[in-house]
Amino acid sequence: MTWENLIYIADFLEASDHRSVSLLGGEPTIHRYFVDFVLYLLERNFTVTVFTNGMVSAARLAQFKTYFAEVSVERLHFVCNLNDPVQTPTSEKETRRVHDFLSVMGPWTSPGFNIYRTDFSLDFLFDYINRFGLKRSLRLGLTQPIPGKQNAFIRPSEIRAVVQRLYSFRDRFDLLRVKPGLDCGFPICQFTDEELGWLHRSGCDALFGCGPAFDISPDMSVYYCFPLSNYRRKSLFDFDSVEKIDEHFRSTRDPIKAESPGIFAECDGCRYQEDGLCAGGGLCQALHRFIDEAPIRLPEIEHELSKIRMSS
Amino acid sequence: MNSPRFVCPHSKALLRSFAGRAVAVRVADVADIADAAAGVRNSGNELFCVIVETILPLSEIEFHEDQLSIPLAVMTPSMGSFRALARSVDALRRSAIRVYLPCNNLDNLAALRILSSLGIHVCAQFVTSANDWEALTDLMTYAVLGRSPHASIEPFSFIAANYNPHSNLPWGLIEFDDPSRFLHLDEEGHVALSRYELKRGLFVAQSVDELGSPAVASAISERENRWRRFFTDNHPCASCAGWKVCLGRFSDELPADRGCATLFTELIEVATMLKSSTSHRDEGGVWRP
Repeated sequence: MTWENLIYIADFLEASDHRSVSLLGGEPTIHRYFVDFVLYLLERNFTVTVFTNGMVSAARLAQFKTYFAEVSVERLHFVCNLNDPVQTPTSEKETRRVHDFLSVMGPWTSPGFNIYRTDFSLDFLFDYINRFGLKRSLRLGLTQPIPGKQNAFIRPSEIRAVVQRLYSFRDRFDLLRVKPGLDCGFPICQFTDEELGWLHRSGCDALFGCGPAFDISPDMSVYYCFPLSNYRRKSLFDFDSVEKIDEHFRSTRDPIKAESPGIFAECDGCRYQEDGLCAGGGLCQALHRFIDEAPIRLPEIEHELSKIRMSS
Repeated sequence: MNSPRFVCPHSKALLRSFAGRAVAVRVADVADIADAAAGVRNSGNELFCVIVETILPLSEIEFHEDQLSIPLAVMTPSMGSFRALARSVDALRRSAIRVYLPCNNLDNLAALRILSSLGIHVCAQFVTSANDWEALTDLMTYAVLGRSPHASIEPFSFIAANYNPHSNLPWGLIEFDDPSRFLHLDEEGHVALSRYELKRGLFVAQSVDELGSPAVASAISERENRWRRFFTDNHPCASCAGWKVCLGRFSDELPADRGCATLFTELIEVATMLKSSTSHRDEGGVWRP
């Protein structure tokens, strides 16, 4: 990302009255101008959220101490995606770097966790929250398929087990007053009324929706979200406003929804989806189902999928 | 016509050698800003601005609160790192400052855009004809057509606002380079027509007392009409589409790619479009028979 592009994006968002920016990667903190970009966006009156793995070098961390120490925790927010040290062990050096990062930036940081198996544990996250004084909200994401790629992800049939596992940590959430936050792709039907009631009482921001989040890459391409980064991406310069981007991606979503209303057969005609309370799981999950099928879909979908197949 | 303003160094003796003039006083150190401003006011002259000519990057200059109300032209080689500058941005925004950066490198082009987008007025200084003209054209487009509110980027904002297809626009005055508006004095009171000539000791008068002389008036007039030579010499600049704004500014070392032509031609188009849209807007609000 260049300064010129960053300024263009800031102007673009400001003109659309959007005052928040998330910086993602790869790993955004390794960008040469990371600290400068954050300070610039803050000067432009944006609130900034940084998604990081927390593996920050000592030199970069020293810069954080120098330049971010006086920035309000309301205006700068890190979401640190953490791995379970037992299930996904990392090297001692990496672990130490993450701990150093959390020691310094704890008050600005919420833990995040991407669920990629049904027997996950959240205990280590509660431990981090207490040890490092992190924000008491936990962002939980379902690992999603990238259509055409062979990545590990939670299949629709596993989501109920994920929800049950999540609910089994209810006592610790309540005891430590940690607010669960669910990313996109959780269908509402996979929760019991009791579980939904708990989420509601916890102040959880579960929307049971699916984007478009819209991401902008360094080459100024804009796409629906990370898993759909190869699907109908366009140049940011083709749009006049955030509303136009939203329109474009909603029109992307409609033909896929026409083919497959959701990730379950029951999504077709589901009242929650019709009432706009649930997106029927992630659009990437729905699209992923088409990848291995014969080319019987709408030409527009086929055209995009064939491009993905050729590039994979 | 008003008397030209004087651009001179901060010297009490020099300032007392004339009176009733508008003066842009030059200093090399920001610590001297307040003294220099007071020196001009106390000498019976009027302060136009203080010009700070520093070798420090902008981020390393420590401005004090009492300097912020003084009109400043800060000529610096670079912005420095944004992280170091960030703590001063609010003060710079509140001040009467214009930051001058040489526009012959991409870092400075980015810096001009950064500062402008944060509400700090800037000026791109053409120090050579070896510029990235395409990047400069992008910067000009941002300066004139940028959709979000931002501070002026000179000379583009000035040209776009004042362009008139039927007359010359002396936009060199943004950089104090227009002898009908600014005359440059050295420590001893010698007078030059431009900063460039001052630096090289090319003077038109030995003191301000000679300013009314026919020789000086003729030198100034000759400078103002220098553009005519391009036509008598049949210089390529005279037939360039960007001529009306550029007036052969880069003729000494005309870039091989003629990128300057692209910049100034587009600037004329943008300025014309802007004028046309403004006049149409004006018409829309007025009752007509």
